[in-house]
Amino acid sequence: MRAYLEPGAAVASVAFAMAIGVYVVAVIDGTASRLVAGGGRSDLGALLVDPLRTVAVLLTQRRRRTERPDAPGWALAPGLLGGLAATGLAVVPVGPGAAVADPSTGFVVFSAAIAFVMIAVFLHGWSPNSLFPMIGAYRYGAQALSLQIPFLLAMLATALPAESLAVMDIVEAQADLWNVVRQPLGLPIYLMVGVGVSFWGPLNLPDGADLVGGTSAEDAGTDRLAWEIARAAMLVAIAAMGAAVFLGGWWGPLLPGPVWMVLKTMGVLAVLVASRHLLARVRIEPFVVACWAVFIPLALVNIFVSGALLL
Amino acid sequence: MPVFAVAGMGAQVQVDDLLLEPRLRLVDSPAAANVLLIAGAVPPHLSTQLAQLHDASSRPRVPLWWSLGSSLVPPIPPMVQVHEVGPSGLVDAVVHTHRALLLGELPSSPPVLPDEDPAPWRGVGPFGQGGTGMTGGVPYGRPMAEVAPDRDGLRLDQLTVRIGPFFARFPTGLVLAARLQGDVIQQAEVIAAPEGEPAVEIDVRTPFRQALHAPVPVSVLELERARSHLRSIASALVAHQLSSLARRVLRFANQAHPDQAEDVEQLRRLLRRSQVLGWATRGVGTIPAAQLEGTATGPVARASGVEQDERAADPAYLGLGFEPVIHDGGDARSRIAQRLNEADQALKLAGRARDRYHDPEAPLESPRGRLAVGDLPAQRLLPLLPAVLEGMEWGDAVSTVVSLDLDTDEVLALRSPDRELPVP
Repeated sequence: MRAYLEPGAAVASVAFAMAIGVYVVAVIDGTASRLVAGGGRSDLGALLVDPLRTVAVLLTQRRRRTERPDAPGWALAPGLLGGLAATGLAVVPVGPGAAVADPSTGFVVFSAAIAFVMIAVFLHGWSPNSLFPMIGAYRYGAQALSLQIPFLLAMLATALPAESLAVMDIVEAQADLWNVVRQPLGLPIYLMVGVGVSFWGPLNLPDGADLVGGTSAEDAGTDRLAWEIARAAMLVAIAAMGAAVFLGGWWGPLLPGPVWMVLKTMGVLAVLVASRHLLARVRIEPFVVACWAVFIPLALVNIFVSGALLL
Repeated sequence: MPVFAVAGMGAQVQVDDLLLEPRLRLVDSPAAANVLLIAGAVPPHLSTQLAQLHDASSRPRVPLWWSLGSSLVPPIPPMVQVHEVGPSGLVDAVVHTHRALLLGELPSSPPVLPDEDPAPWRGVGPFGQGGTGMTGGVPYGRPMAEVAPDRDGLRLDQLTVRIGPFFARFPTGLVLAARLQGDVIQQAEVIAAPEGEPAVEIDVRTPFRQALHAPVPVSVLELERARSHLRSIASALVAHQLSSLARRVLRFANQAHPDQAEDVEQLRRLLRRSQVLGWATRGVGTIPAAQLEGTATGPVARASGVEQDERAADPAYLGLGFEPVIHDGGDARSRIAQRLNEADQALKLAGRARDRYHDPEAPLESPRGRLAVGDLPAQRLLPLLPAVLEGMEWGDAVSTVVSLDLDTDEVLALRSPDRELPVP
């Protein structure tokens, strides 16, 4: 394990990155919404202030209690999701030798964080003791189980050329050729699954409109705010890792490495966030079938091809 | 401003149009809102559910009534009343109310219902279960989950629930009593009316209701038809989590005029690209033509390939070159495509109609099917629901109900004894 920062500084820098990232997600979301809706005037000031206004309104709402909830679980779920996002974000390097943490198993840490998202979402749906959150929780079970394997396989392929599970090494190995070129199947699978893991847009099945908000249907005020922030933070973590392992991380001409990393993360983030306004909600049943019958085989092909090229 | 809106009698169109107001944010769950917006007349028989909805919204909260010309005050006393018809007056009032609420000038509305269990505890076990072991019984008036065989041959928990009458994606007044396993509906029943309640009269002035009694220009009817179809597409988009796109369609609907062939084509491309006319709706809620033969349920029937349109026998449409549009497939996808094509056709007919008038004696095809006094399209569609919904995922069930485009006013009016809903 290579540690680069004192624990206090590490926590502060992850928190800072998360706060900026979440704000950027909100701004991209608002911009995409206005572009798709068309007709209305796009006022830059309003776009930048709107997220803060939403936060202010949510802070003034009092929290709600349902009948016989699992109160600790309810309070814990957004914290768990946010913590997992922070864990994922912490192992993403922003430049050569510049990362909050770079364990030799950074890849495994990130994958484990993604796997635990299922527990956070299920807890969030289970705790309010209410119908729609519960259905949302059940649904995410089916969704997450189907996503995890293609997700791991798509990411695992990126570790092959580096012959290491440290994310820093995976980025280093892309000096000549980015993984997105080397493994053209990997990034689309990763993005699709990334939207699913952070249950966003077309794959927002646990918190979907048909469930009037699903696992967050009973949330008010700070509960809702915390959950939304954690969800957006998860998107940021996914985008940052995608930029690092598929798009060559800090590699790029002219500009300094960290700037490239930020630009690439924003690019991936824009694609992920915009999907919410461009694609209809996926039906859970065909989606589960597609994961097992299409995406897992595709991800395996991706791995075999990458392996064969190394031999 | 997060607002939870309830559309009462004659208010669905106005509530849908609020999506276009950038200062309001319509939310799906009362928990997310401080303002409970009650639009139009909510019949007294929904008072208990409305009170539950009120108590479920977040504090500080305020019930706000947008009267829209109705004199029937909602069954829970509204703290703020808005009598202006235009949406901008309403938005100003909501923003003002919300500010007053946050500054403490307006007190938060206290709970309407007493804080007690809805029914006595009726159980024998330590956890309130009524039967043996951990299952059975109705503790606190709610049936406990029971095990039942599911479609994979396993025995899994089955939950009996009621959804409605204010479920955000359904027309107000529609209650679905369902047995759920996970999110699969094993059994569904439609409840439109409690027994022994007084009838609610429809007092809504839309062009089609006027056409029942007085001559109305065909061009007015056709423009209204196009708007109605486009609004229905917009609500399908909201149900598929595409509210930004829905806003675009709503704006288009409100500006509908006869020469918009290009805009319709663009909308078709958008729907196809967003997959609303693709995997999101293909094969969802298929209703076979045999079930719809002779029911005169308008676009729903024609989307299943039943060639039945009252306009074909209407002298006002002779000479306009009218021919019914039909699709086959009968699923949610065909219904959306059907409405889009009919909207296109209606815009063209409106352009050609000149000074033709619909004769009140002739049969009338409303956007939802044949309309006559005491003969409402919703009455013919609702009985089809239970059979269609059985075995469906909840998300597909919502898509199906939305794709049937049930009229809120009609669902609320279906309660009168002489218009008994034949629920199987």
